[in-house]
Formats: sequence, structure tokens, C-alpha cells
Amino acid sequence: MKLFTKLTLFITLSKLAIVALFVWLLPFLVNRIAFQYNDYYLKMQKKKVLQVIGKSGIDAYLQGEPSYGSYTMLKEEYISLEPAGKIPVPDTITTQQRVVEGDTLTYRVLSYTFRDHQHSYMLEIGKTTASIGQYNQPLQRVALYVLIALIVSTIVLDFIYTRLLLRPLSAIIHKRLQQAKFPFKEIPPPLQTTTTDFRYLDDALTALMGQVREAFEKEREFTANASHELMTPIGILQHKMENLLIEELPEATEKRIMDMMKTLQRLKKIVHSLLLISRIENNQFPLSDSFAVSGLVTEVREELEHRLLEQQLSFRMQLPGKAVLTSLNHDLIFQLVYNLLNNAIRYNKPGGAIIVSETNLPGKPYQLHIRDTGIGIPKEALGSIFQRFKKVEKKENEGYGLGLSIAHTIAKYHDIEISVASTPGEGTVFTLTFPGEAQRLP
Amino acid sequence: MKVLIVEDERSMAAEIEAFLTKAQYSCDLAFTAREGLEKIEDNAYNFILLDLGLPDKDGLMLLKEARKSCPDAACIILSARGQLEDRIKGLDLGADDYLPKPFSLLELQARMQAVLRRKFGMQDATIVIGDFKVDLQKRTVSCNDEADIALSKKEFDLLSYLLLHKNRPVTRMQLSEHIWGGFADDDYDSNYIDVHIKNIRKKLSARAPVDWLQTVRSVGYKVKI
Repeated sequence: MKLFTKLTLFITLSKLAIVALFVWLLPFLVNRIAFQYNDYYLKMQKKKVLQVIGKSGIDAYLQGEPSYGSYTMLKEEYISLEPAGKIPVPDTITTQQRVVEGDTLTYRVLSYTFRDHQHSYMLEIGKTTASIGQYNQPLQRVALYVLIALIVSTIVLDFIYTRLLLRPLSAIIHKRLQQAKFPFKEIPPPLQTTTTDFRYLDDALTALMGQVREAFEKEREFTANASHELMTPIGILQHKMENLLIEELPEATEKRIMDMMKTLQRLKKIVHSLLLISRIENNQFPLSDSFAVSGLVTEVREELEHRLLEQQLSFRMQLPGKAVLTSLNHDLIFQLVYNLLNNAIRYNKPGGAIIVSETNLPGKPYQLHIRDTGIGIPKEALGSIFQRFKKVEKKENEGYGLGLSIAHTIAKYHDIEISVASTPGEGTVFTLTFPGEAQRLP
Repeated sequence: MKVLIVEDERSMAAEIEAFLTKAQYSCDLAFTAREGLEKIEDNAYNFILLDLGLPDKDGLMLLKEARKSCPDAACIILSARGQLEDRIKGLDLGADDYLPKPFSLLELQARMQAVLRRKFGMQDATIVIGDFKVDLQKRTVSCNDEADIALSKKEFDLLSYLLLHKNRPVTRMQLSEHIWGGFADDDYDSNYIDVHIKNIRKKLSARAPVDWLQTVRSVGYKVKI
């Protein structure tokens, strides 16, 4: 899940949870506040009554009567003043039932006992609980509406701000990680942001990419230099020998020069192969070609025609699928197939056969099989045939043990799986499993 | 035919010079780009052989200069750097061919001939040998004005390569490298060159003797005129 999604989800859910808690607590809170305020109100009323009594005497209420009582019109409030009994009653504010003119009503009642001119009086001020809570409902509703409006607006604000805040991060991911392609030849300009964390991340990534590119360039330069340093002396030797051969020389000398040239040729081949492997391993070949498999195999076959003829080998190409492979390097795949076919020829028996076939199923990786009816590879050697300078069995017309190693390097570079199955005396099958399914030739 | 060899490896330059002098070219040597530039300004060359890895300047810079001051000269780049980009850049800058080091001197001469033929149409495209007439342009071989003898592409390539280097022994390796290029195989003892030569002899001797196509023991073949 993306960071932005996570953050948005968290913000929304946490706010909703808080709202739910608040909504659940609201009636209780409002009620409590109303009661507290009411108690305070009753106390204030009591204070007013006592002030009147203090100023004008208790007769201001009693007016000669033994007790005093008064109701508001709807009996929502009442006040009563009567002589208190002998037993002292503590001052309280309690919720009590009162019967007023036949109606039983629930009141919140403040009881207060005081003395005035040697007489004890009990003052009661009451207010119906119904009237205490009368504003609770609308208050709650309004509070809820305001809350919802607030929550929605903060969620929207959070959403917008998070988006704005995280924009540099998506830019970093997009430009630096998704779009950037090894070996990072073009590094996009630095990110515009005031968030130091992102600035740091961007700078670190840019620096890292720069380092990778530098290392890559160094490797490349090294291969180029090594190539130059090795090939130049080989070239000089070759030219010296060629110039020697032009002169009239005794046959024995000519033969020796020929032997030297062969050795030099061998050295040249090895250096070529090692440099090729090193160039592949340094990613110096773009993977941007698309081509038909049958076309490629035909090209390789033409290149090897003379050797097929020489060994009287039959060659069968069973590629009916018109498969097209993409994102490859044509020259390297050519070399790969060439090396495998060359091997199939080299280790074949005179009059034998070579069969190139495919497994091309929709939704399955494309497979190319190169089968020969040759001498085969002994079981114990199968594991090491792709290693450099390993040979199965020394034969006269043998290469230098780098052909399969190059094939392996090329396969690895393309994410192609190369596998081999062999029965000594009967033949060998090399299978190339390409990373994806093949497309069809239109 | 005046050739300028720009190559910082003196002993390689000397070998190329010795070889080309024998093939009737007159050669000048330059070991640095600066020397090369001076020589290009002072002389009119038909050919410039240019190494890219020069000590003082990149060979491609020199190529640009040469295009200006010596526009008629043909140019072949000789490079051991083996970078594909160098090759593309060089050809873009107007080089006529690109030969990766190490190369065979025979191959160099063949390429030079090909460039000259292509660029100036200078070389006589027909070679007469014995009773045969070989047309390098049309790629045909005929005998006494009769119908063409059908040679395969590789057979014709072999024959013309031997003809180009007439009176010199050409090794199987050199032949194989010329015909199959970078994909030449390691098995030089194998006889597929001999098979091709045998076929050429068979096809030609049906019309006239081919004693000019000689086998040089333990080396290869030679066209003797």
C-alpha cells in the first residue's frame, strides 16, 4: 500500500473513531453539564432569597403566614419556605418526587435549613428535571453537526496537505527509481522541495546513481584499455609473421611460422572471448532488439553451412510458431545460438543430425531446443560445462573451452535459463528458456 | 598511390609500411595526431589509415580535420578499442571502413582495394588469369568468352582474395578469416577451405588448366602469375 493511501486511511479512520466516541459520550456529557449548571443555578437562587431575607426580614416572604410557597406557571420551578422540625436536616441538592396539585413531578431540589430570630426554617428551591434537560436534544444535534462539519473539513485539509507534502516523494520514486535506467547516463535535475528528509533522500540517491555510473564508466574504460593493450601486441606479432611469410623461405621455416600463427590465433580468440564476457558483464550491450527466432536460426545456419557440409550433418529446423522475441540484443543472441550450434556440430558424429525446435505455448515462457545426435556429455561433466576453460575430453579439433561459457554469460545477461540434458553416445539437448512468452509474427 | 599511416605503435606502423610498400603503395608515417595533421596539410594523400588511440589527441578529431583539408582521401579506421560507438562515430564522420585490431595485412589490403573501387572506380575490375577472366564488379568468372562458370559466393570470395594477393602464399587462416570474419572458427586444421578450393579447381579445370592456383605445402594456397 502506498504511503499516501496509508496516511489518508489512518487520518480518516482515527477521526471517525474519535467522532464515534464523542457521539457516544455526548448525551452523558450534556446531561451532566446541565445538571451541574442547574445545581449552580439553584444555589444562586438560594443566595438571592437569603439576600432578600437579610435585607427585608423573613416576613418579606411569609407576610405573617407560617409558610410560603410559590410555583411558576407550568410548575417548572417552585420555592417553599417553612418552619423546620426539631431534628436538623443536612443541606442537600437531590432529585426527588413532588406532588403538585395532583401531578407527580420529578424535581431537582435544593434543601437548606437556616435560623432567623430563633426560628429554624427550611428553604426548598426546586426545578423539574424535564426542564433541566430540555435543551439537551437540540444542543446535541447542533454539536454533532458542527463536529461533522469540522471533521469533514479537517479530513479534506489533511488529504490536500498530505498530498502536497508527499508529492516530492512520488517524484523521487518516479524519476529516480522507476524511470532511471542502468547505467544512469542521464540524471534528472535535483528535486524542488523544502522537506529536508526528501532533499536528503534525493541527494543520496543522486549521489549513489552517480557512483554507479562512474564505476560503470571505469569498468568500460578498463575493458577498452585492456582490449587496446592486449590486441595491439597481438596485431604487431601477426603483421610480423605475415610479412615473414611473403618472403621465400625454406619449407620447414614456413611451417614453423604457420605454427606460431596458429598459436597467436588461439591467443587472439581467447582474448576476444574474455573481453566479450567482460563487456557483457559490464552491461555494454543494449537490450532493445526484436526479431523472429526462425530468421535468427537461419542466419546462424548459413554462417555454419560449410561445417555442416563438411561433417555431412542433416539440419532440421522445426519452428512453426513464427515466434518473435523482444527486448534482446540481436548480436548476443546470434552468438549464443551460434555457439550452441557450433558445439552441436563439433561434438556430432559424421552423418548425424541437428534439430532445432521450440516449445511455444500461450502464457508459458518460450523455449528453444537445440538437439544433436553426437557423442554426448558424461554425467559427471554436466555440472561444469559452462565454467570457463573447462573441457569434457581433449579432442583434436577442439576449441578453447570458452564457447559455452560465453553462451552462459549471454543467457544470464538476458535472464534466459540455459539447461542441458545429455545421454553419452546418443546426443545432447540444450534448452533455452526465455523470460517471457513469445509474440507472434503478424 | 600515397598512403598516410597514423599509428602510435611504431613497430606496427613499420610492418604495415613494409607490407604496403611491397604492394606498390608509397607510405608516410605519423606517430601522433599532431604529426598526422601536419602531413595531411602538406601532402595530398589517396589514403589515410587512422588509429583511434593516439597519445596526444583522439583519432576521431583528426578524422574531422582530414575531411576538411584532404577531402578526397579515403580513410580506414584501425582501432583496438573495439567499441561499437567508435565504429559508428567513425563511419558517421566520413571514414570509409573500419578494421578492428588485430587484423590481417592481407585483409587491410583487400579492404583498401574495395574502398578504392567503391569510391573512385579506379581499379580495373577485370582480372585476366590464364584463359580465365574474373569480373570483380559483376562477380563472374568466364573462360574464352564462353558462358560464366557458376561459383558459389564463398568460392568467388576465396578466388578473388587469392587473386588480389597474387604471387603470395595465403594461409588457410587468412582465407578463413576473410570469408567468415569474426565468426571464423578455431579449427583451422579442418579442411573446409580445402573443400572449397577443390570445388573451384574442379569447376574451372573443366574449361581450361588451372595450374596457376597452387597449393603451398603446410601453409595454404597461392595464385602464381
